[in-house]
Amino acid sequence: MPDEPVAALSDATRTYGGVPVLDAVSLAVEPGVTAVVGPNGSGKSTLIRVLVGATEPTAGEVRQPGGPGGKSIGYLPQRVPFRPGFTARETLAFYGRLVGDDPDAALERVGLGDAGDRRVEALSGGMRRLLGIAQAVLGDPALVALDEPASGLDPGMRERAFRAAAERADGDTAVVIASHALDLVDEHADRVAVLRRGGVAAAGPLDRLLDDHDAADARELYRVVAGEPGTRAGDEDEPPGDGDERGGEGDGEGDDAEPNVHVTGVSDR
Amino acid sequence: MTGPLVGVATVFRRELATVVRTPGYAVLAAGLLVAVGGLLAAGGGGATGFVPAVVDLLLPTEALVPLAAVVLGYRALLADGASGELAVIRTYPVRVGEYVAGVLLARTVALVGVVGVPYAAVGVGVWLTAAPDTGIFATHAGIDSPLLYLRFLAFVLLLGAAYVSLAAAVSAVAASRRSAVALGVLALVAGVLGGDLLLLRSLGAGASPASIPGSLALTPNGAFRGLTFEHVIGVAFAPEGGFVSTGRAVGSLVGWTLLGALAAGATLAYGRRVDAAIERVRSGLAD
Repeated sequence: MPDEPVAALSDATRTYGGVPVLDAVSLAVEPGVTAVVGPNGSGKSTLIRVLVGATEPTAGEVRQPGGPGGKSIGYLPQRVPFRPGFTARETLAFYGRLVGDDPDAALERVGLGDAGDRRVEALSGGMRRLLGIAQAVLGDPALVALDEPASGLDPGMRERAFRAAAERADGDTAVVIASHALDLVDEHADRVAVLRRGGVAAAGPLDRLLDDHDAADARELYRVVAGEPGTRAGDEDEPPGDGDERGGEGDGEGDDAEPNVHVTGVSDR
Repeated sequence: MTGPLVGVATVFRRELATVVRTPGYAVLAAGLLVAVGGLLAAGGGGATGFVPAVVDLLLPTEALVPLAAVVLGYRALLADGASGELAVIRTYPVRVGEYVAGVLLARTVALVGVVGVPYAAVGVGVWLTAAPDTGIFATHAGIDSPLLYLRFLAFVLLLGAAYVSLAAAVSAVAASRRSAVALGVLALVAGVLGGDLLLLRSLGAGASPASIPGSLALTPNGAFRGLTFEHVIGVAFAPEGGFVSTGRAVGSLVGWTLLGALAAGATLAYGRRVDAAIERVRSGLAD
């Protein structure tokens, strides 16, 4: 019996300049790890932003976990946005105070206990992503949405980032991860949503999708469903000019200012 | 565990720490001190007493304080939005109003440091150096007093607070640092010159000169100037007053401050919906 969805999109559409980037997407997010995969420009970041409320859909509905007080959603944009000039500990202390959580414990959870006194701009890309994951899971939200948490990281760091995120998923918590790291999707995801040109090409439990499409692993599934070869392990470098990447830049909403462009083959690197 | 005060206080602390760690604001304060001190030295009023000093400073203050306030406020709400951190902050239990209040309170405290301290330092300089005895604590007609300068300082900070708030509203609307600068300059010019130009135009169109005290109080600069004449310069030279209605002028400065805060809050709170609504119209036109 399927779990009760933590969040859901119902025919959610988002356009930019009249061009649909997310096109009538319906998706129920259940407890566990859901990986959102798809070519660059397929709408992954927009889906994540709509899911967490950072972007308003132009049509359709979004159901988010809620409740009085507390933090119900954790979010890590594709570009980790923390304010420079503050240490990792100060950054988490700011967020921790808002939800009554301990910044040092959060740093320890992602293995950054020794980096607490380093300024965020002095952290490596991987450490900043781990800091972002630590931030996202502060306050024990029911929905954690991470946009490319393993992007640009070395293999060890990618695994660490994914594991840190996946460990949060349990019977009550849903973790949604937009990612190109199909090897890590294979390893950690319970469910997968494959996006293609702004729509959901396939979605469901990973095992079922593999059976349905006669695929050996997530990469093959991706190739069959999205019509493109999957990204190899370690190839999840932040794609320059990724059409998905309106995430977080701009004026809070302004990062959604430019229309998405679906460029088939951009992932073929 | 959390509540409105926790949200405001947490945002306030972070914003104030940002200001304290930004060397540019200390440079701004030092520059303002040099400018105000230099103007006073060049004008010579500071060597005579507080009221002559205020007379020397009044006009430049109407440009310098709004300029410093706009510099303090023009990126106040843009920074988090532009970096994408605002989208993260909004997943936490802190309302837009609390966030805006925390940022604005911190920037207003920063204003006290960046603007209030240089003006206070200049006031201390006048106290120590002015030739006639300026140590008389009284506000009787014709008598100079440090209290008159303190009143001036209070009006300066009220003027600055209004501009910080308006600049923050501009920063909430701006989509980039460049547009924030452009909008900030526009707001500055409109605020510093716009009110007086409108007043002159209305007089030219036949408005009664008797309406000046009422009209003057409507703009931040007019209200500040009227209050300074009414309660600082006029106390010594024109005790009959009548430059401006005090309540109306103070209300105007407070009103502009609240208007800026509300505009900033509304922009952040409803910006996404407005953006989506515009997109719906675009999509409708494209179909």
